[in-house]
Amino acid sequence: MTNSHSVFQPDTQDDLVKFVTENATNSRCRLLPVGGATACTKMIGGDLTEVRLEHLNRVIDFPARDMTITVEAGIRIADLNRILASENQRLPIDIPQPEQATLGGVIATNWSGARRFGCGTMRDYVIGISAIDASGQRFSAGGRVVKNVAGYDLCKLLVGSRGTLAIISQVTLKLRPMLETSALVALTFDSLSQVDAVLNRLLTSATRPMVLDVLSRMGTLARPNEKTGKSAHPQILIVGFEGALWETNWQIETLLAECQPFEPRAAESFLGAAADSWWETLRDFSIHSNSYVTFQASLPPSRMCDFLRLTTDAGIAVQAHAGNGIAIGHLPERVVTADQSVAAIEPLADLVRSCGGHLSVLRAPSGWPSLDVAADSWAGSLAWTQRLKRQLDPHDLLNPIC
Amino acid sequence: MNSTSPPSAQQLIYRLRDIVGDDGLLFNREELLVYECDGYTVEKKVPDVVVFPTSTEQVVAVVRLCNELNVPFIPRGAGTSLAGGTLPIGGGVMITLTKMKHILEVNVRDRYAVVEPGLVNLHLTNHLKETGYHYAPDPSSQGACTIGGNVATNSGGPHTLKYGVTVNHVLGVEAVLPDGSVVQFGGPCEDGPGFDLTGLFVGSEGTFGICTKVWVRLTRNPESYRTLLGVFETVTAATQAISAIIGAGIVPAALEMMDQGIIGALEAAFHFGFPLDAGAVLLIEVDGLEVAVEDEAVRIEAICLQNGAREVRRARNAKERLLLWKCRKQAFGAIGRLSPSYCTQDGVVPRTKLPEILEFITDCSRRHDLQIVNVFHAGDGNIHPILLFDERNEDQVRRVLLASDEILTKCLDLGGSVTGEHGIGVEKISFMDKLFAPEDLAVMKSIRDVFNPNNRCSPGKMLPTAGGCGTEDHPHKSHPGRRAAM
Repeated sequence: MTNSHSVFQPDTQDDLVKFVTENATNSRCRLLPVGGATACTKMIGGDLTEVRLEHLNRVIDFPARDMTITVEAGIRIADLNRILASENQRLPIDIPQPEQATLGGVIATNWSGARRFGCGTMRDYVIGISAIDASGQRFSAGGRVVKNVAGYDLCKLLVGSRGTLAIISQVTLKLRPMLETSALVALTFDSLSQVDAVLNRLLTSATRPMVLDVLSRMGTLARPNEKTGKSAHPQILIVGFEGALWETNWQIETLLAECQPFEPRAAESFLGAAADSWWETLRDFSIHSNSYVTFQASLPPSRMCDFLRLTTDAGIAVQAHAGNGIAIGHLPERVVTADQSVAAIEPLADLVRSCGGHLSVLRAPSGWPSLDVAADSWAGSLAWTQRLKRQLDPHDLLNPIC
Repeated sequence: MNSTSPPSAQQLIYRLRDIVGDDGLLFNREELLVYECDGYTVEKKVPDVVVFPTSTEQVVAVVRLCNELNVPFIPRGAGTSLAGGTLPIGGGVMITLTKMKHILEVNVRDRYAVVEPGLVNLHLTNHLKETGYHYAPDPSSQGACTIGGNVATNSGGPHTLKYGVTVNHVLGVEAVLPDGSVVQFGGPCEDGPGFDLTGLFVGSEGTFGICTKVWVRLTRNPESYRTLLGVFETVTAATQAISAIIGAGIVPAALEMMDQGIIGALEAAFHFGFPLDAGAVLLIEVDGLEVAVEDEAVRIEAICLQNGAREVRRARNAKERLLLWKCRKQAFGAIGRLSPSYCTQDGVVPRTKLPEILEFITDCSRRHDLQIVNVFHAGDGNIHPILLFDERNEDQVRRVLLASDEILTKCLDLGGSVTGEHGIGVEKISFMDKLFAPEDLAVMKSIRDVFNPNNRCSPGKMLPTAGGCGTEDHPHKSHPGRRAAM
């Protein structure tokens, strides 16, 4: 297949509107919206224009006392975080490669991290949005106030739509205040049965965790504060807290006491800056791998340890947001062909299907067949997704990759 | 009924009876009057028939029959909505879901429950009492409103300041679409493949279909509460305190304001001991771990006093806390002591604009010679001015509509919205083209057309461009008060 690959980089939202309008009228080239290019690495052949949004990075309005901010979608996450921090505020979503990732890209891919258990995901923070559809028409939904049910919630529709419906150009976010401190507790267990029992116990914990992650079969991945252990494949349960200092300290002590009966091999707590390297490990797990294939699975939280048994046996390193039933995994580096990937994912896919979940590939080599699977209960969602796509982008111009 | 070849009323009733049985439908005029409006009483329209299905299959059969006979249909929960969302424009069949009220599953391990749409909001939280979890959205009408209705309007409530609105707690829905097909969007597993159609469906005000099952997220109960009542001489001082609390980085679970007008009605109804001479009171609640809430409460007390609070009281025990919340949540009920009818508005402004909008409301009250009282979600900037009137007095109705329009227009001028939690319904449909550009509305219409191409399901709602069934019957044209106001 012959590829014609060009790049368009608008300086203003009006430039973007003009370009997309002309494209729809004339060349009808397929458009791939790109933010920091940190997420989607599946590529296709054929004519394609990358629409790179990094120059759309202005702050439109930051009424800090109202705890909202309106920005252009190309703003880098690190820049956004710095601006918010200047007013002691934050967007509590953990984003890998923040110096490169853009807000629009994060929204389009609905990326989330370890704090999703306590703080939610992008759909909980986007309160206003502007986007340009395939015909070049700019439209908006939501607004700049934190509570608003006027009109259809197109913010929700565009979060996670991967640029297939429209190119997100401007966003208004609801913000949260910075908290005094945060802490992580790392509990190492020899078996997943222990982890499962602790997760059950934490349902009625006196503490209120913000993070409930399991790091499974980390292998050669970076693990701060590595200690020698008995099991070849220890399971590390990470529990995170945020709040006032004494509140956080109380939660650490209470959690350790609650978990003691489950006999963790090691229990370490990291408060404030001492936890930074752990936070980075959690944030960057998805990008720290030489694996050919990285996937994300979703299943009921109660089935997560079943899933982790399969991945452990298969040598797959996983970060599980166990409280939410989300797992991010890297297939072993020895898996280098599409057939091997299919074979590696098949047992996981069976489990995912059987419990109403789904699995999608985040990163795979160009030209490989789709490895995505979903339980039958998702058929309706997928069918109506396609209908909406056809309605809003009848010529399939926007992000034909997804 | 609006139909190219209208079926006879008898034909429709006979065939509906075959679906829902004798005790599953109403068609006598007197019985139908109950369903002529919801909490928005300014506009009324009686449906031709009301049916009470008990299963998804019955909803499907009713919808298919309506399609066959070209009859408009509209879903309804408890009818507590406040913007005319359940007004049966064009008549037709009202599908009332209050008999579908079962809790189908509670799964604490996976933190969700599956419920039917007619389940009363509070009944779910009551059912969960022993689990340590609850369903967080708590509209003031939670003792009566249904979860299906909450889904349709994306309801809020006092505690949404910290916990978010309905859409933040709905994981999935099963719906009967306007063509009679059944679809599931979302479910207990998060981040589904494809678009977030659950998020899109929530708040679509019945225009995408009829919700028949809901997967809701369960939230851990707070360990402790501190509930405070800040007493202020003026509304302005109270709004300054709100800004200061939020500005200090404290996000209370709830932050509600009541002005002097409503305080009097509440005191008469509940005898709580509200200070009748206060200009405004703030009901502030912080929740969380016992080790944390006391400090937050102390900080809030200090901020209130620094901003002119005359005193800050605390609920001394759980009973007093519950009474305070009963007063707040039944405030609308207490309005009956002040006037025979009322119209509750639902504007939103940025929090920092609260003084301006409240000043405007006071001015509006004077100009239109209407009593307006305020009880609202101050922390969200979500105002609820309550305009008091007598619906038998056409001139008062006209002035209420004019004043409402002015208040909502001012909300827009201040960078806000015309609805924070009640929805557009029919009441605010004329605001949609003030709030949104034609391009925005075109995209919304395009999306509605995917699900509801004939606009037979909930006609005349949400979008001002609504065409199809029943539009000649739209209250803009039919209601004398609305005509006068427009």
